[in-house]
Amino acid sequence: MQQQEIHDFLLTYFQANDCPIIENNPGYLIVQLTVELDKELMNRPFYWHYLEKTGGIPNPMRLTFITDQKKAPENMKGEIIHFGSPRLHQIFDSTKKLASYIRLYENHQHIQSQTALFPWLCMNVKISYQCDRKRDIFKSIGLQLINGQMVEDFHIRLQKVPLTPKIPDYSFTLSPLVKPKSGMIRVENYLKSVISEDDHSWADEARKRWEQDLRLLNHFYEDEEEENENYETEKKALQEQYEPKINISFINGGLFYLTEKAI
Amino acid sequence: MSVEIEFDSSWQDDFLHRIDNDGPWGNWELFKLAIDVEKHLVIPEFEGLQAPNHLPNLTPLPHQLETAKQVIENMNGKAILADEVGLGKTIEAGLILKEYMIRGLVKKVLILVPASLVTQWAIELNSKFFIPAVTQRKSYVWEQCDVVVSSIDTAKRNPHRDIINKLDYDLIIIDEAHKLKNNKTKNYEFVQNLKKKFCLLLTATPIQNRIEEIFNLVSLLKPGHLGSETAFYEKYKRDARSLNDDEHLKELVNKVMIRNRRADTGIEWTKRQVETIPIEFSSAEKDLYDSISVLKSEGDWVQTSAFSVMTLQREACSSREAVFYTLKNMLQKKENPTPAFEEQIEFLIKKVEAVQQNSKAEKALELIQQVNDKVIIFTEYRATQMYLQWYLKQHGISSVPFRGGFKRGKKDWMRELFQKHAQVLIATEAGGEGINLQFCNHIINFDLPWNPMRLEQRIGRIHRLGQEKDVMIYNFAIKGTVEEHILKLLYEKIHLFEKVIGELDDILTKLEFGNIEDHLIDIFGQSSSEGEMRIKMENLSSMIEFAQSMKEGESHAAAGNS
Repeated sequence: MQQQEIHDFLLTYFQANDCPIIENNPGYLIVQLTVELDKELMNRPFYWHYLEKTGGIPNPMRLTFITDQKKAPENMKGEIIHFGSPRLHQIFDSTKKLASYIRLYENHQHIQSQTALFPWLCMNVKISYQCDRKRDIFKSIGLQLINGQMVEDFHIRLQKVPLTPKIPDYSFTLSPLVKPKSGMIRVENYLKSVISEDDHSWADEARKRWEQDLRLLNHFYEDEEEENENYETEKKALQEQYEPKINISFINGGLFYLTEKAI
Repeated sequence: MSVEIEFDSSWQDDFLHRIDNDGPWGNWELFKLAIDVEKHLVIPEFEGLQAPNHLPNLTPLPHQLETAKQVIENMNGKAILADEVGLGKTIEAGLILKEYMIRGLVKKVLILVPASLVTQWAIELNSKFFIPAVTQRKSYVWEQCDVVVSSIDTAKRNPHRDIINKLDYDLIIIDEAHKLKNNKTKNYEFVQNLKKKFCLLLTATPIQNRIEEIFNLVSLLKPGHLGSETAFYEKYKRDARSLNDDEHLKELVNKVMIRNRRADTGIEWTKRQVETIPIEFSSAEKDLYDSISVLKSEGDWVQTSAFSVMTLQREACSSREAVFYTLKNMLQKKENPTPAFEEQIEFLIKKVEAVQQNSKAEKALELIQQVNDKVIIFTEYRATQMYLQWYLKQHGISSVPFRGGFKRGKKDWMRELFQKHAQVLIATEAGGEGINLQFCNHIINFDLPWNPMRLEQRIGRIHRLGQEKDVMIYNFAIKGTVEEHILKLLYEKIHLFEKVIGELDDILTKLEFGNIEDHLIDIFGQSSSEGEMRIKMENLSSMIEFAQSMKEGESHAAAGNS
């Protein structure tokens, strides 16, 4: 992430959360937190608890983020934000938490007639291949809940569709033939079949490394007659270190009601 | 395909619940933002390092990046990092830790370091690597914090020990790991019992010497890598001198150990220029020195050991203040001093009082004025340090003191004062690890330590990564004294000063004849004549020379083979 991207990211995050932007200039950003975001980010539960008990006037904080020290005024006090900074990662986490589930309608312009909107289940996930190393794959899957059509890169396809949280006029939603619950299972099975076709030499190699280390370990303790606690500990540690695993973790998802030809 | 797939279905109920209750639903902008974030955080490849992208305040050197990559990709996260001093082992360990944390492979981390370095490690991890490392202060920290820095002595004691033994660690880092070479110690046992996935052992001293030490250290990291204990000692005799005798063993060890050498890093090191400055005593100073030397043959002093006489001799070469301080101490500490003893001390104190000037200090002043740049003066004695600060001030030169015993904050403060305001820093100790003064390139060795490693540390403060100029080293020695002997016979003969940093510890460990300082004390203290002393010194220096030539032979052979 470049510094400019970080700047834009912060701006979008605070705007989306209804925080007034006090100053937005090259290299820095000053925002006034809302009460909700102060509670979300500032980690001062005692203050808020006290305030609610005493009925005082809430005073959420104002934050200054410096996204480029060269462009920001000299001597400006604020948090310097870069890709590795803990604050940025806190905001990343918060972003994911605040928008895990969504429901949107296509904001179509067909005002002549009643328009049917088709339900789509969207699931954005991260697949991780993990042993003593790790890599991830991002997947965005869309499943039409009437005819069962499944598409990849759903999120990218959605970008060109105008969306709105309220159902537009002259529209009605079709109720799903595939229940969301079984839809999720279909997506899960689809992902598993995609994964099974991938190259998994990484897992074989990890197992080889595991076996090799296990052989050494056995050799090391071969003189011990009784059960040795250290041996068991080490053995378990090797399993944790090398055992190949695949995790599919959920990023976010939701329901989208779209016109027939939208996707 | 036989890899187990874990599908996170914890969110499904929540989702269905919201469908039933018609919300609450998230904001579309945030939803898109969350995906953007995730796309930035996805790690597309098993190989390569992500950490450098997260560390804008740090520009790792090529050998540090290479080491981190090696450890993760080829050593499966278990390694002994044994770089020569000053190449940045801490940075390497930090890079590896960061990389694993970014990839989500490591969460729970225990870092065991010498007590004096606990704070510094925590600060460096926080400021350079943005890793929220916490120093251990309360016993609940072990469980509640993910990255804890502690000394091994604290960790191995209860109640800590019991708590730690119950925890599963993803990564354990141990600094100064060569202290774990003996598998009979409590520390060794403690570390052996830790539950760990990945492990880094950091050591500056090459462990290539005692075969037993290698076995113990490697077995801590990767039990069985060198075989079982019995099998190992059957194959390699316990008394085998060195790892280099056996190519196969050497190869095995190299699979778990990385040792970067200065020469291989490709970094241009500036030169060391050494100048010996012989100084003549004034007559009063000489009188004091001679009066002390005479004591060696006098009865009552024998039992106070040759050591104190030698100390006084060396002090006399530094400053009258140093001598006075020691004499006063001797008088106070002696129980029921004999009148003769008191008289003797009185006599010497008179001699001290007769000294009106300090020839070395005069020379130092002259040199500092001539250099007209920042200078570090090293002395062995605090009394000399205080005197010098006063003396320089009389001549309009600002200076700051520095001692190993200063607290961390004070050290940093003094360094800052020296860098921004003062011309001279007067230090009594190299200050051990951690203070870097590469903005200065002149050192005056006001007196010489007898342990060459101490000298190496002194020079290492300024001759390290980041030094841009040649380093000038001025050695002061008073003619016709022990000091001159040391300088001539030991340091000059083995060209100690010109050595590249790190070469010396290689050479000295190879010698295996113990502490050089002990040898020197023996030579100067026990020799009955000047002649005997000279012969013993010659012996010592030829042994060092021999070790050195062995080393050179080795590197030539290596060069020939490649």
